[in-house]
Amino acid sequence: MERLQKMRKQIYRCIHCGACRFAYSGEPDKEGLGEHGGVLYEGIVTGCPAGNKYKWEGFYNSGKMWMARAVLEGELEPSEEMRDIIFQCSTCGNCAAQCENKIPTVDVIEALRAALVEKGVPLGAKSAALSKNVKEKNNPYNEPHAERTSWLKGEKNLKSKTAYFVGCTASYRIKNVAEATERLFRKIGVPVAVLTDEVCCGSPLFRTGQLSEALRVMNQNLETFKKYETVVFSCAGCYRTFKVDYPKYSGKPLPFKAVHTMEFIADLMKQGKLKIKKEFKKIVTWHDPCHLTRHIADDIEKRRLEESNNWFMDSRAIEKEKEEWYELPRYVLKQIPGVEFREMYRIKENTWCCGAGGGVKTQYPELAMDAVIERIKEAEATGAQAIVTSCPFCFLNLRDGIKATGSKLELYELIELLDSLID
Amino acid sequence: MSYNPVTKDIITALKSIVGNEYVNDSVPMRYAYVSKGIMGLESIPAEVIVRPRYVEEVRKILVLANENKIPVTPVAGGLSGGFASPLISPSGILLDLSRMDRIVEVDTDCRYMVVEPGVRSGTVWAYFRKHYPDWAPPVPDGAPPAATVLGDALERGFSMVTGRYGPQADMVLGAEVVVPTGDVLYTGSWALPGAKPFYKWGLGPDIGGLFLGAQGTMGVVTKAAVKIVPHPHFKTVVAYGMDNPYDMQDATLEVSKYEMGIADHCVMVQGGNWPLVMTRWPEDKVPKDYEFYKKLGISEWWMNFEIWAHSQEELDFVCKRIDEIMKSYEARTGHKLPQWKLHPKQIASRLKKPNKIAIPYSLWNAGFLFITWYTPWKDCAEFAEIYNEKMVKYGFPPVMWIASIDHCRQAICMPIVCFDASKPGDVDKVQELNRETTEIFLDKGWVEYRPDPYVHAPMMYSRAKTYHEYLKKIRAIWDPNYIMHPGRLAIP
Repeated sequence: MERLQKMRKQIYRCIHCGACRFAYSGEPDKEGLGEHGGVLYEGIVTGCPAGNKYKWEGFYNSGKMWMARAVLEGELEPSEEMRDIIFQCSTCGNCAAQCENKIPTVDVIEALRAALVEKGVPLGAKSAALSKNVKEKNNPYNEPHAERTSWLKGEKNLKSKTAYFVGCTASYRIKNVAEATERLFRKIGVPVAVLTDEVCCGSPLFRTGQLSEALRVMNQNLETFKKYETVVFSCAGCYRTFKVDYPKYSGKPLPFKAVHTMEFIADLMKQGKLKIKKEFKKIVTWHDPCHLTRHIADDIEKRRLEESNNWFMDSRAIEKEKEEWYELPRYVLKQIPGVEFREMYRIKENTWCCGAGGGVKTQYPELAMDAVIERIKEAEATGAQAIVTSCPFCFLNLRDGIKATGSKLELYELIELLDSLID
Repeated sequence: MSYNPVTKDIITALKSIVGNEYVNDSVPMRYAYVSKGIMGLESIPAEVIVRPRYVEEVRKILVLANENKIPVTPVAGGLSGGFASPLISPSGILLDLSRMDRIVEVDTDCRYMVVEPGVRSGTVWAYFRKHYPDWAPPVPDGAPPAATVLGDALERGFSMVTGRYGPQADMVLGAEVVVPTGDVLYTGSWALPGAKPFYKWGLGPDIGGLFLGAQGTMGVVTKAAVKIVPHPHFKTVVAYGMDNPYDMQDATLEVSKYEMGIADHCVMVQGGNWPLVMTRWPEDKVPKDYEFYKKLGISEWWMNFEIWAHSQEELDFVCKRIDEIMKSYEARTGHKLPQWKLHPKQIASRLKKPNKIAIPYSLWNAGFLFITWYTPWKDCAEFAEIYNEKMVKYGFPPVMWIASIDHCRQAICMPIVCFDASKPGDVDKVQELNRETTEIFLDKGWVEYRPDPYVHAPMMYSRAKTYHEYLKKIRAIWDPNYIMHPGRLAIP
């Protein structure tokens, strides 16, 4: 409740304007892909996966802000009914991107979830299991901790200035991404340490309001990784958690540089130190993982605005900095010979979430499926043969969506793709 | 009046009308629909929210509510600046009309569209852009894309062509209205079975006006025919600065009196004062000294003329004539009216519809309220002067936005009261300001745009007792138990 109280003034800024329902809420004349499959990809379009599915006000962000306000006023008691509304949100942050009153909507929703947990409202069984599993096994999948680095053929706890935070999903569920990342760094001459003491970053717990266990793993990881200069990531969720949540909850800046692999590669390419020679001859589209792109851009904005004494003058420069971040994965893809790059309509800060985040795929898979089917259709509307992303949750959900729709789209994880193209 | 609560039996009956999945009495969901701010400070949760899809469902719901004396508040599906009709006590059924979102018909000869209440500005704009690019739906200017066309029209609001065509209510050619007795009424020529909604005055005396500005107290409008307007593609915005509201008022009036050939092209004529720029940012994160804004070329007061034309030549002619009128005013009065040379990006931003320009005023503190009034145009400067002084007296920044209605026949004056809703006492201060100014403005003969139930409506009707009595009697004909949004307009 304390975190919710701290955001009181920001919560009270909501006027129910409803811009948060949309993508491109301020771009009525935006050109797009036209009409495909009965959907018009032009101008202002739907932007909220949960609101789009259920259509009740509470499932849109604005409804949640007014529930938060009622909780603060003491008019509304946290309850299981409330849980079933506020947890059906992938916390994708489209609402924050659209909000002219700059309400930190994702922070509010997470604080509201934490307030429910604090009040003892029971979580959904699968959400609750996340915390139990992390507590017992250091990962949400209930897998043995000893198996965490079993994918690594080389030396564990290697001596290096750079460590690789693998994350639970790459460690246990899509080990090929872990292998590709470690191999890619070796190929580019930056051997990375994979640590046996790594534990879950806490992302699923921060997202679902289970803060006590989240803080435990945060402190453990900070202790484990503090001796490294740089920590690299392949998981968008882990990266977001280190980059955004750890400083926020620990009250201190990270003791190392946190870099996503995509960012690392883009930097090398920009410096002319890495050039891809192999061809990837396909029409390609990119799916922005919320945790990797929109949440990080949002964090850039928050930090810059916090430092600024004149938002009027500084806002334009901040927008430019955000845009540079959004452009990075696009830049990387465009450096691959043979790639014909095509954008979906909803991209960057207006991206349509795949629906997997915020604990949704775990507890409410039907909502996650609805959202990803919409994304698959949008990707198909570009005429792309392949969809590339760089987040294990987006990857798994897109995979499920492709299967469910029978789409012919090929799915690639960006780091794996780069590894396959770099000798 | 006494009303009954929504019981389990009523909820069962509502479910049998619209289906289980469209009735919701979850406590948190009911709070999700609460809205206090932007147009009103009063709102309480409904007892149940119902989302009908068809007119017949609305009819059955009203009959059920009438038989059981349960209040009903319709919400157009969105917002005409905040929820159009926030519930007040007694609570009852909130009729969320967002599922009634069909664009039923577009007639480019009679030049109207028939839309349901849930059709949002963003949606209808995209639809016209794709299917009727030479026609424009009169979406509200300044209201966000989630605002509904009908919410704005029924509020007699403000659209992007108000300067040329008058208040949004003037754009309504006909309405389909469901009333608690279970009848479905049609207004204008629509009242004649089989007729198109081409003529707003209909069969002898027309009852259409009773449903406009009624804030949901007279019935549920389930469809309306709204005029569409030509959408020529030569557009620009010209702006002039001044150091006081009187020059803004008088010079703009001179332009607007040239109705044919000049002011007819000025679809939107709106302006304000420099705090309009300042208060779009947090109070502690932006310079508060006018000198900062002056250096950026922002005048203390200004007026924008948004001009639409069928050719560049026509556009250039209108701009030239406006400039000549402004220069002639300058020469005659000796007062400076410098043209504000807008950057192309500033012009593009002003031409964007629907847009979000009215939204960020919560950033200044945490909440804002438009306390909007209609005045004769010639009184708008005096209005601004009085209101700004009162806002400063109560500790609020003096933020004033003024727009022309129908070639400056009237002004819509929109002070933006930026207050802190999270701070105890600030809401009371807003209401004190509201009371004090309402007393003054009613004395002046000015009219509140959307009378609130606790300040404006009682003060206004206490001065117009006969009118008020007849409104109550008329309402009782089709709403004998006064179930429609009771209390909202004090009728009763």
